[in-house]
Amino acid sequence: MCFFVSFPGNFSETDGLDMNSPHFLERLRILYTKILGVLQNIPKDAAYRKYTEQIVNQRFNLVQTETDVQKLQDKLNSGHIEEVIVQAENELSLARKMVQWKPWEPLVEEPPSDQWRWPI
Amino acid sequence: PAAAVAARARLAGSSAAETRPTVRPKNEVEQKQLCVFGEYVAEILPKYIQQAQVTCFNELELLIHPDGIIPVLTFLRDHTNAQFKSLADLTAVDVPSRQYRFEIVYNLLSLRFNSRIRVKTYTDELTPIDSAVSVHKAANWYEREVWDMYGVFFANHPDLRRILTDYGFEGHPFRKDFPLSGYVEVRYDDEVKRVVAEPVELSQEFRKFDLNSPWEAFPAYRAAPEPLKIEAGAKKEDAK
Repeated sequence: MCFFVSFPGNFSETDGLDMNSPHFLERLRILYTKILGVLQNIPKDAAYRKYTEQIVNQRFNLVQTETDVQKLQDKLNSGHIEEVIVQAENELSLARKMVQWKPWEPLVEEPPSDQWRWPI
Repeated sequence: PAAAVAARARLAGSSAAETRPTVRPKNEVEQKQLCVFGEYVAEILPKYIQQAQVTCFNELELLIHPDGIIPVLTFLRDHTNAQFKSLADLTAVDVPSRQYRFEIVYNLLSLRFNSRIRVKTYTDELTPIDSAVSVHKAANWYEREVWDMYGVFFANHPDLRRILTDYGFEGHPFRKDFPLSGYVEVRYDDEVKRVVAEPVELSQEFRKFDLNSPWEAFPAYRAAPEPLKIEAGAKKEDAK
């Protein structure tokens, strides 16, 4: 799938943007560590914590083992490295909000019995 | 001649006519994937999700308690396995016979995974609903439209005012109890030299045609079929 991104040019031909700078991987490492830290505040049996830890650990391991950014992008299969960083930032903000909302608790309120019946 | 040949082939019931069914083929793979994802989301957010279902056209729907709009939309937008970054549509449905008559519908699209999802909530005429503008900027005008057409108030909306009706218009046109011709009509009055609004006067009384036949049309479909419901941890039920 091809994405049109507003980054300057194609990565392999960009001048001035060093794809293999340690900045990207460092940022990813910091973000994933922060996410795992925030997830500690969620009860261990909550499904959100379980699945997010799985995703983050998997990505974290890939980031630790693979130093070449191009190969990392292919392995992650999630778009360009900048997009992966943005997604990690989103996941971090979501994790912080989940600690506030506590969505693993049981259902707030049952709907009226005819609410979701279709046809009426 | 060619049409006659084709017709004869159809009537004869030959194998050439039967190999091309006119029914849309069922996409079992996509349905299974959507069921799995629906169970996944329902497992993560049991506080707000009342029901999750997949229609026969492979559309996943999450039925939400109104308190959970912002958490569920934020989760669907930000979580790595969801990434529904695009709010395609925000509408309401009026079902006056229910206690909570308005059903607010959000249609989301994930560009990363090329998949869509529908989130539905409910409210009545007086209860406000949290605005989705803080999650998706696109919700701004859609919520103005729902306010204008149905009268559903959105709390924390930056600018909730009418968008489609005339400036002094009273009433919410898309409600089921609002008549087709409305209550006022406008005309230009030469005496006061401006457009005036007067109660509507139809030259012919409104005629409602009942298009149902007195005989039962579909005896095989008397009871509504059960939708494909997903319960967390339970096995998927087969739809009839």
